[in-house]
Amino acid sequence: MRGRKAINALVLTLSTVSAVIGLIFLFWILWTLASKGFDAISSKIFIYDTAPPGREESGLRNAIVGQLILVGVASGIGIPLGILAGTYLSEYGKNSKFANFIRDISDIMMSAPSIVIGAFVYAVLVAPVGHFNGWAGSAALAIMMIPIVLRTTDDMLNLVPTQLREAAYALGAPKYKVILQIVYRGAKAGIITGVLLSIARIAGETAPLLFTSFNNNFFTTDLNEAMPSLTVTMFNFATSPYEDWIDLGWAAAFILGSFVLGVNIIGRAIVKKKKG
Amino acid sequence: MVKRVALTAIATATFTLSLQAERISGAGASFPAPLYYDWAYDYHKATGKEVNYQSIGSGGGIKQVGSRIVDFGASDKPLKPKKLDKKRLYQFPAVIGSIVVVYNIPGIGDAELRLENKDIADIFMGKIRYWDDKAIAQDNPHLKLPHEKITVIHRSDGSGTTFNFSYFLSNVSEDWRNEIGVGKALSWPTGIGAKGNEGISNLLKQTPYSIGYVEYAYKKRNSFSAATIQTKNGKWVKPAEENFIAAAKYASWDPNKHFYQILALQPGDNSYPIVAATFILLPREKNETNKKVTAFFDWAFKNGDESAQRLGYIPLPQSTKDMIRAYWKKHNIDPSN
Repeated sequence: MRGRKAINALVLTLSTVSAVIGLIFLFWILWTLASKGFDAISSKIFIYDTAPPGREESGLRNAIVGQLILVGVASGIGIPLGILAGTYLSEYGKNSKFANFIRDISDIMMSAPSIVIGAFVYAVLVAPVGHFNGWAGSAALAIMMIPIVLRTTDDMLNLVPTQLREAAYALGAPKYKVILQIVYRGAKAGIITGVLLSIARIAGETAPLLFTSFNNNFFTTDLNEAMPSLTVTMFNFATSPYEDWIDLGWAAAFILGSFVLGVNIIGRAIVKKKKG
Repeated sequence: MVKRVALTAIATATFTLSLQAERISGAGASFPAPLYYDWAYDYHKATGKEVNYQSIGSGGGIKQVGSRIVDFGASDKPLKPKKLDKKRLYQFPAVIGSIVVVYNIPGIGDAELRLENKDIADIFMGKIRYWDDKAIAQDNPHLKLPHEKITVIHRSDGSGTTFNFSYFLSNVSEDWRNEIGVGKALSWPTGIGAKGNEGISNLLKQTPYSIGYVEYAYKKRNSFSAATIQTKNGKWVKPAEENFIAAAKYASWDPNKHFYQILALQPGDNSYPIVAATFILLPREKNETNKKVTAFFDWAFKNGDESAQRLGYIPLPQSTKDMIRAYWKKHNIDPSN
């Protein structure tokens, strides 16, 4: 009896300590980001584009806009494809060999190093086209996004009880109507959460962009051109030897961190609201 | 519905904006990158044309222009005429820089440390391991050298700076020539790697008792301490701008060889031994974009000397610039054409 209690106390202490260590690092990161990034944030950042070191009119406008476009287009491609594929798996493929094969493949894709995806897209969408372009960057991000959306959609739709579908069929609803009006409705919160988390996941990626959308020192909204992004700009600036660039790197990190954190929090909030 | 509207808006914006600006892209050497950024920024202000240069290392620059992904490449390592023919590239120098041996030893200031050229090779090979080694101490009787281990910092990426530095070391040290050789990327026997001149600068700042090699502009910008080294004939020479210029004077360019020349170890009593030109590579078949690129460099040759000097580079002499313009004309990539 006493032995069990002692073991219980020991394990409880160890796991609490581990949890606290994890939390310390999380808050440490957030605090560093906030304190260093907040100092570097000014209205200049949103007005001016990236400039050579030591210039007055220096900001991140091109990188912020580029990042939004890249992530936006990637979401436009990745979310519909992921949801449709997830729907197929859950509602049509079910437990067939083919469906399970797709599930396995997408699990593998999810853990594929993002730099490998970047290299693949370079070979397919950059080399044949003959120049770095924003489409390639968005495609690389979309490829990362699809398996995440696919798996969460699949899982969420599976959670909808079969009886609900059967009840709808009994009322004479055709399959597409059952999926659209019964199954989707039941799984809405879960799917939206999955989508938001996938956006948060790709928004912070640098590696797939390095040799696809590349980088651009100028403002552009043309996806056929090399496109700047916050992540690549942050990487270049933070590793530079110039004080003003390093500050801008912190500002970029702060903006990106706030965005990812915000999206994550919204995602969790939706789940909570649904449960509560 | 909302998505469709958004997509249409993006497509329209893309279409209208793509008609506006004239854009060219280049990539490569990190050595001249601060200068190219600066030139591009002012060029954009003056003409509205955009030159997007990204620093990815000379190796990357040669590769990306070779596969025609960028409009021009930049390399600190000149390509031999044969290789240029094979890759179908033109080549011309843009600016001259110098490579300095930088150190972070608390208490020892700029140019105070004297290093014999062959000792530099021994340090980067790991043969001299402590700062108070006899080989270093005998040249620096007035300095109090610490008994600390030397941390060597070298490039981890394919680098023209490494090429020029190792070319120099190969010519001053037989051991280096036999054991390590010349190249953009080397198998370093010791030390830690860093990406780009930027990476070396950062690491050097953070690591006391370290030594590295960077383009002079990075040294100037960061106020690093650089070693006094030796001329071709063994005279001490400070890492100072007048000594770089003295060395650059001896350059003899030949447009028929696409300006292939390595500038290290020039003769003369004040010639700093590691100066290097940095080169621009153009794809031969792309006449129209080449004219846009040469227009940029033509502008930079006319208006960019001051920026070059401010950032610690040596502008090309007028005679060389004229030679390059003639080279453009000969190959029909002259901007005015």
